[in-house]
Amino acid sequence: MTDRSDHNRATWRQSLQGWLWVAPALLFLVIFVYGPALTNIRFSMFSFSAMSLDWDFVGFDNYLRLWNDPKFMTALTNNAIYAVISVSCQVGIALVLAAVLEARIFPDFSANLFRTALFLPSILPVVVVGLVWQLLLTPTTGLIDQILWETGLASWSKAWLGEPDTAIFAVIFVSQWQWTGYIMALFMVAIRAVPRDLYEAMEIDGASGIQQFWHITVPGVRETILIVTIITILGSLKVFDIVWVMTAGGPNHSSEVLGTMMYRAAFRDDMIGYSSTIATVIFFIALTIGLVQIKLQKDR
Amino acid sequence: MAAARSIPVLAVLNRVLLWAVFLTLAVVCVYPMVWLFLNAFKTTNDMFAATWGLPKVWHWENFSTAWNYGISRYLLNSLIVTTATVVIELALATMAAYALVVLNFRAKAAIYTLILGGAILPPEVSLIPLFRVMAETGLYNTYFALILPNVAFGLPFTTFLIRAYMTGIPGELREAALMDGAGEARIFAEVYLPLCRPILASAGLISAMRVWNEFIFALTFVESDSVKTVTIGVMSFAVALRADWGVLMAGLALSILPILATFLVMQRQFVGGLTSGAVK
Repeated sequence: MTDRSDHNRATWRQSLQGWLWVAPALLFLVIFVYGPALTNIRFSMFSFSAMSLDWDFVGFDNYLRLWNDPKFMTALTNNAIYAVISVSCQVGIALVLAAVLEARIFPDFSANLFRTALFLPSILPVVVVGLVWQLLLTPTTGLIDQILWETGLASWSKAWLGEPDTAIFAVIFVSQWQWTGYIMALFMVAIRAVPRDLYEAMEIDGASGIQQFWHITVPGVRETILIVTIITILGSLKVFDIVWVMTAGGPNHSSEVLGTMMYRAAFRDDMIGYSSTIATVIFFIALTIGLVQIKLQKDR
Repeated sequence: MAAARSIPVLAVLNRVLLWAVFLTLAVVCVYPMVWLFLNAFKTTNDMFAATWGLPKVWHWENFSTAWNYGISRYLLNSLIVTTATVVIELALATMAAYALVVLNFRAKAAIYTLILGGAILPPEVSLIPLFRVMAETGLYNTYFALILPNVAFGLPFTTFLIRAYMTGIPGELREAALMDGAGEARIFAEVYLPLCRPILASAGLISAMRVWNEFIFALTFVESDSVKTVTIGVMSFAVALRADWGVLMAGLALSILPILATFLVMQRQFVGGLTSGAVK
């Protein structure tokens, strides 16, 4: 509504001035984000390699081929598992942790220290996190296996990253290690904005901490929960670096996600058209999630 | 009596349990980094013999070996790419935010949506066409191949943050300056920029961290050691040094030292900045 009245008020001269101010930013987005994303859709209709001069127009053949590629189902499933675990940990657990830290159960000093400690992994480069955890998870000599040996759980010892059943879960675990504390810090800020007297009133009524959590904290930060859920799902869709560093999609493609599959097709197997098809699938899933977010935020 | 007693006992038990949970989590989160730094001082044999303990001999030379092995160059490259990206990104985002907040122009809402929408698209989606553009324009394997896309993918969030902050600046300030005959450029530079200093610091910090840690562009758009940033540098490092764990860990430790130091010094801005977006 306000938009329409702006239209009427702005003269062309005024508009020109406004456009000039936003033009540089817009240009960057068009050239480096939107333009390539659209070009990518066109690429997905061809079969070609990086060096080849002739492109074969194949229509939707690449999509058909992708649909029949067993690796595609593995990748989609892995992205989905990634999203489910990440939402449970980073939204569910992080919110509980944040509520406890904000409930003044610990002295301020220790609460701050806990927040800093849990936040720390999120500032590290994913590559370093991946490489360090690779070392920690090394069979026999790695720290994790040594802990298992020393606590008498040696039978649980495993080549976590080397076995098809566990590889993707080991990677997802490391991702939770890195990001849960960050989301917790987000929730702490959100909880601080919830009026204190709501809690005090409930406390006087004799409500327990758990009741206060469900009846005040959760409704109070509903909006942040929505945003964080969307961010986390988008993050699980575009995950690439931690998987590429830790397993590169292996062993035997068991930990493949859409990102690694796309990257391998383009830069290892030189199937640019096919790779663009995977990128286009990522594009439309991201777009759908984005539209859902806009819809949900409008509805509230 | 019994009932009255049982409540405090339960509360104490709860409290002990919570302390145990948080202490464990804190150790789990911090210890891998402590482990990295301690083992960076060991030889490979020491490490296998005692991965838990302090180094028997502190091998400081691991760090100089790693430094000379190429980490110094990667760090410099990261510094150049990060600085350039942050400066350009802040400049463009601040200009766009200023127009979106104070100026009146057609298609404003659509333009704002277009800028924000960029945040939804993951870099994977643009990677292949961008790679071709880089190759055809000769930008491939230069700093610009990293700086330009990093700016573009950072703009949505940075613009969003700065715009949100600018809406809190009273419009009367601008109107008064307009009465005095100041143009938009002068109001922008002399009124808005100084007032925006806190958000520029936070947004700059977030963007710097994002670029410093950036992976997929650095993996795809550069290949020479002379332009590789530290994230990809340590990857090649890890491949080359599989057998010398002490030096490898020293290299990893060096690569995160700048970011750890910044974090410890500017913790408040870090957490404040990184969390400011989601609550608006």
